[in-house]
Amino acid sequence: MPDIVEIKNMSKRFGPTVALDDVSLSACSGEVLGLIGENGSGKSTATSIYAGMQKCDEGTMLFKGQPWNPLSMNDALAKGVGMIVQENGTVPGISAAENIFLGETAEFTNGLFVNRKKMIEKAQNALDRIGADHINAALPAGALDFQDRKLVEIARVMEKNPDVLVVDETTTALSQKGRDIIYRIMEEMKNAGKTVIFISHDLDEIMNRCDRLTVLRDGKIIRTFNSDEFEEGAIKAAMIGRELSGSYYRDDYEEETESETVLTAEHLNLTDQLIDFSMEVRKGEILGIGGLSHCGMHTLGKVLFAAEKAESGTIKVHDHTYENEAAAMKEGIGYVAKDRDTESLVLEASIKDNIAIAGLDRIAVKKHFIFRKNENRYVDEQVASLSIKCNDSSQYVSTLSGGNKQKVAFGKWMGRDSQILILDCPTRGVDIGVKQSMYQLMYRMKQEGKSIILISEEMAELIGMSDRLLIMKDGRLQKELKRSRELSEADVIEYMI
Amino acid sequence: MKNKSKNISAKLMEAAPVAGLVILLGIFLAIAAAKNVNIPYSFKNIVNQSIITMIVATGAIYIYTLGAFDISLGASMCVSALVGAMAYNATQSVVVMLLVCVGCAVLISLTSSVLASVFNLPVFVTTIAMLSLLNALSLVLIRVNGTGDVIQVPAMAVMKLNTVWFKLLVMAAFTALCVLTFNYMKLGRQQKFTGGNPLCAKLSGLNAKKLSIIGFMMAGLGVGLGAFLTITYAPTLSRNTASSVGMDVIISIVFGGMPVSGGARSKIHAAIVGALSMTLLSQIMLMLNLDSGISQMIKAVIFLAVVYVSMFSSRKTILPR
Repeated sequence: MPDIVEIKNMSKRFGPTVALDDVSLSACSGEVLGLIGENGSGKSTATSIYAGMQKCDEGTMLFKGQPWNPLSMNDALAKGVGMIVQENGTVPGISAAENIFLGETAEFTNGLFVNRKKMIEKAQNALDRIGADHINAALPAGALDFQDRKLVEIARVMEKNPDVLVVDETTTALSQKGRDIIYRIMEEMKNAGKTVIFISHDLDEIMNRCDRLTVLRDGKIIRTFNSDEFEEGAIKAAMIGRELSGSYYRDDYEEETESETVLTAEHLNLTDQLIDFSMEVRKGEILGIGGLSHCGMHTLGKVLFAAEKAESGTIKVHDHTYENEAAAMKEGIGYVAKDRDTESLVLEASIKDNIAIAGLDRIAVKKHFIFRKNENRYVDEQVASLSIKCNDSSQYVSTLSGGNKQKVAFGKWMGRDSQILILDCPTRGVDIGVKQSMYQLMYRMKQEGKSIILISEEMAELIGMSDRLLIMKDGRLQKELKRSRELSEADVIEYMI
Repeated sequence: MKNKSKNISAKLMEAAPVAGLVILLGIFLAIAAAKNVNIPYSFKNIVNQSIITMIVATGAIYIYTLGAFDISLGASMCVSALVGAMAYNATQSVVVMLLVCVGCAVLISLTSSVLASVFNLPVFVTTIAMLSLLNALSLVLIRVNGTGDVIQVPAMAVMKLNTVWFKLLVMAAFTALCVLTFNYMKLGRQQKFTGGNPLCAKLSGLNAKKLSIIGFMMAGLGVGLGAFLTITYAPTLSRNTASSVGMDVIISIVFGGMPVSGGARSKIHAAIVGALSMTLLSQIMLMLNLDSGISQMIKAVIFLAVVYVSMFSSRKTILPR
């Protein structure tokens, strides 16, 4: 098969840092090439250069054997190379249709005016074609949830029928339905003799979907595995440069949680997201909440933190009710949101600002005064205990890798010693090394008597970490499952669907 | 290393406004020396011209930090000064005049922010409405209580306060209060965080409405002090009093390196640096005998350049991942 994508000796520096060091890779027609590596290994940098997002410092690129130097992402897409980015790639203030035809509204003009009806119809067709027919193309993108915004982005790229598709850590943001859409698109492209470059931290997923797998570390190509060489241990070792020691998930099954109930929710109702939902959380328990993406579990997280109000029902912590986020925090609750960059962090603020903000009441002297020394001590403790990779705590969060950003979001609540932590998809978009350290952290918190409500779309994570697992479907509690060696993904899926 | 270089470049960007001020000061001194200008007298002029803008802009930092914008500051100052002057004429007390100026400005600011909170409107929208209302109110006040087109306070009554040292004292006290609350109290941290990402701030337990109201109160305090100093400087007040303050405040804040979007990079000293830079620039152009039209154009070009550079540097820090 001829090579469609060729990158030769590509280097890229950001200041003195070498993000890509003499990287060469290729992908041929009818192939799904996987790229894997820790956060900051250079996967996104290499592919984003190929997709026209930024320029390389050195090296050459070829597309179908011809020199390839796209001026922008739109230029690359128009010429046949599309990319779906990891984080939000839609404009919130305009409709899904306008997002799909961003910069191309001239196509729908009759003289001076844009024919919105025609544009919405065509956008709806694009959404229907990828299997996202539940999305109304006329709705503003900001009114859609994270998954649907991602699907809008996919529709925008697929509308151009690209020859090369780069999927950059997109699947972690999607439910099984969303993932199935991407997998189908990848399969169809492969069968049509096109090329897919697939970036993911999910090793099972990437081994199942790719024909070859290239591992990057610190901006260098470490090794390329052919499908017959795929072996989990070898790939992990290539990724992190060492063998992973210790358990990935917790390995205890016999340990009983304490009987003391710390949080009780009774008969919660909120439109179709929560229907007569009741639950309790015990001290020192990791309570998993799973289900399909729209089952109501993400809304439940917000309701438990009082960020959204239930229409009826009660939530109590140690018999105290609470009305808003500040009151929830006083009751010892912390909340790490799913949409990290928009809900959990201020990207253009420092690590210090982000970690300290939830703990100002603990740092403040005489309730109001903040002294730099106290603040630094408070923040530095979290930076050290979470091993956040940074120069110092004044570094902007926007400059951190995904895993380190997530650690900052954790640090916000760890610092104030939250006794009940609601974690909504806490390991989304982080590499296996960081994932493992987060699981270890959760387990450590459990052993310290803290309670964790783990909301996740990753079944392996839920099964591997939870003491109890609540499965939700259409806003209702479908099943409660206890921790057991025998519990399998098939057992869980049965109640989700 | 990549992050280190970004941090260094961010720090350089932060230092740029102060460096700009120092350069302007150098140019000013060089031209003044070459043209035999009385430098102490010129400095006194600069302080007189810039101090009110400095005070109002320092208070307005609290609004801008939240990513909000108040277009009615000049009109608010005009009404506060008129009401303050009326209070003096009724009581012959400078203290009452000061209290009324401050009280009136804080009340106007609170009205803007509370209206925005109650009706869930962007604050900017309510300040547009307040601008019209306050302009109308100043006309009514002058018509009912004034002499001709003005309201006057006897010059003798405020003459003693019209000194550079008194103005510097007022500014120092207000700046100290702002530096304390903004840099060394929870309030400043919460304001910056809310300006950076209101949704994340809400999910971190912060009350944006309460912070907005406090921010507007601080801005009102600055406007009130500005109104009081305006009376001491020019005790004959008309509908045009403080008419340029609103725009001067915006330009000063941007010149001082304050990001237009607010957030974590907001800083109190931006107002002082910006107001001084702007006044120095005006003085330099005056000394060079530039036509006022050309001076305005130069200012506009510099304003656009400053905004472009600050936004460009911000974009550069966001894009690479």
